[in-house]
Amino acid sequence: MTPRPATILHLLHLSLLRCASLLVPARQRGEWWKEWRAELWHVRQARTPAQGILWTAEQEVTMFCLGAFQDALCLRGQVGRGPIPHATTMGSAAQCIFLLAAVAAASYGIALLLPRATLARHAVHYRDAQRLMLIHDNRWAEDAIPTISAEQYRFWKSRQQDIFDGFAFYRVTQLPGPGVRDNGPTGIALASSNLFDVLGVPIRFVAADSKMPRLILSDSMWKREFGGDPNVSGTLVRLGAQVAVVGGVAPEGAWRLPGNVDGWLLLPDAANTADGNGFLVAHLRKSAEHDVWGDHWQMSARDPDGSIGSFSCSSLTESARGPMDLFLFAVFLACLALPATTSLPLGEYRVTSQKLSWPTRLNRWGFLVCKIALLLPIVYFASLDLAYLRVATDRLSSEYIQLVSSFAIGLFGLRWVLRDQRQRCPVCLRRLTHPAHVGEASRSFLAWNGTELICAGGHGLLHIPEIQTSWFSTQRWLYLDPSWDVLFADPGLAAANYF
Amino acid sequence: MAAETKLSHTAAMILQVVNAGYVYGFSVMEMTGLPSGTVYPAMRRLERDALIRSQWEQQSIADAEQRPPRKYYKLTRAGKLTLEASRKRYPLLAKLIPSEEVEA
Repeated sequence: MTPRPATILHLLHLSLLRCASLLVPARQRGEWWKEWRAELWHVRQARTPAQGILWTAEQEVTMFCLGAFQDALCLRGQVGRGPIPHATTMGSAAQCIFLLAAVAAASYGIALLLPRATLARHAVHYRDAQRLMLIHDNRWAEDAIPTISAEQYRFWKSRQQDIFDGFAFYRVTQLPGPGVRDNGPTGIALASSNLFDVLGVPIRFVAADSKMPRLILSDSMWKREFGGDPNVSGTLVRLGAQVAVVGGVAPEGAWRLPGNVDGWLLLPDAANTADGNGFLVAHLRKSAEHDVWGDHWQMSARDPDGSIGSFSCSSLTESARGPMDLFLFAVFLACLALPATTSLPLGEYRVTSQKLSWPTRLNRWGFLVCKIALLLPIVYFASLDLAYLRVATDRLSSEYIQLVSSFAIGLFGLRWVLRDQRQRCPVCLRRLTHPAHVGEASRSFLAWNGTELICAGGHGLLHIPEIQTSWFSTQRWLYLDPSWDVLFADPGLAAANYF
Repeated sequence: MAAETKLSHTAAMILQVVNAGYVYGFSVMEMTGLPSGTVYPAMRRLERDALIRSQWEQQSIADAEQRPPRKYYKLTRAGKLTLEASRKRYPLLAKLIPSEEVEA
């Protein structure tokens, strides 16, 4: 049954009204919705033809429905007129902390909803990533394509090595899936049996030793195909013609090497003779000489046919890098760049000889520390959200996005923290209000020219010079004693003992 | 609401239309030519100021005519006094929407 276009348009109009009804205060919404729905019925009766569609009429009905938004806003305005916010809550420190905590919670919540962000956060670090090298034949320019043959791997492994003390080889292929739910082609790495030992990745639910090839499941395949069964180890599975026993489950985010795989079939070296190239991971022998080579270097080595080949070796440090490392680096850069965007002093320069009491000063510094402490998780999770929002973005692009966004949010966040601190009363920590310009620009060098802000609690006045002069270079705070209380809206706030 | 209350021309026109017997929002729209976004908010304000009052028609009447029940509006005593004052302020109001046009 196909719905008639008129019915679809009517539903569209009803949904417009429903959207508008969300603006109406809850206790009036039911009656408002009933009235507009009834009116819409009559408008349709009066304007639209019984058969077919008249677009001008539908347009009129749509315009009628759009008017509902103005009506809803009118009702909201009538009901929503509350008392004028009291000065104690306007821009208070508690309000600021609450807002920052809400933003941090929201960004954390979004990060929890993004599977890729969760994966990145819980990524497993390779045990000795700096010494793990991915070896690539220089005859191929692209790093992501397999260039090393199984024969070459066995040849190197059988020879005495001065540079490396361990090799692991894998080759990605498509095999029918081992699960009961989906037997479609699955990316499986045919790997040497020591792959995870070389990488230093701990395997969960390790099965007892078996003479059969072992299949290590990825966390996603374990959950998807085996329902997250902790007793999955030891299960016999079939991957095409190959029968294997499930040997364990790799931790989530453990795989940082080239190739999208859902499982690793660990084969004895003699069995991994299939045609086609793969990837070779080697562990660099510990040596002071090797330490200075860095993360990327070239080497020449003998091929099985006796010729000399050129190979590039890249450390897995970069690929094993976690989002926390990027975040810390970006925040460090933001801290370095901060003085270029705003002045660092908090701007409390007393013109009187009175000194604030310890609790008052402690309170002020505590507020600053609290803001920075809440800003950092915001920077971390918001940058993760941005980096891993799109599923299609590759890992390298995501890392760039995270680095740039961490830096930008961190820099402007820290700038805001300092500027906000400067524009708050040092005593009650509320935002200063009522800015007033005093003086004339033409008399900057003869008289005071700048902006004056006031604390609504009556604690004092802040003077910010328009142009920095030798006699008035930075903002100054003028404390008012309690005798001024009568002039302020919240005289009760002015604590007499803040000095 | 005092009889001296000064209404805008739009509000006065809506009062005049309601007084003339066009008691539903859509019929007020049709008579005045004003859009829904003007008429309904104006009627909310008139109701808030107690110049008109709204009431739902009986369900049985709507059921008999196989349509949803409608909300209709009537002038209050204060509304009638205000309308009288507005007619003096806007003399053309009565000519634009004469009360005689409407059947009771």
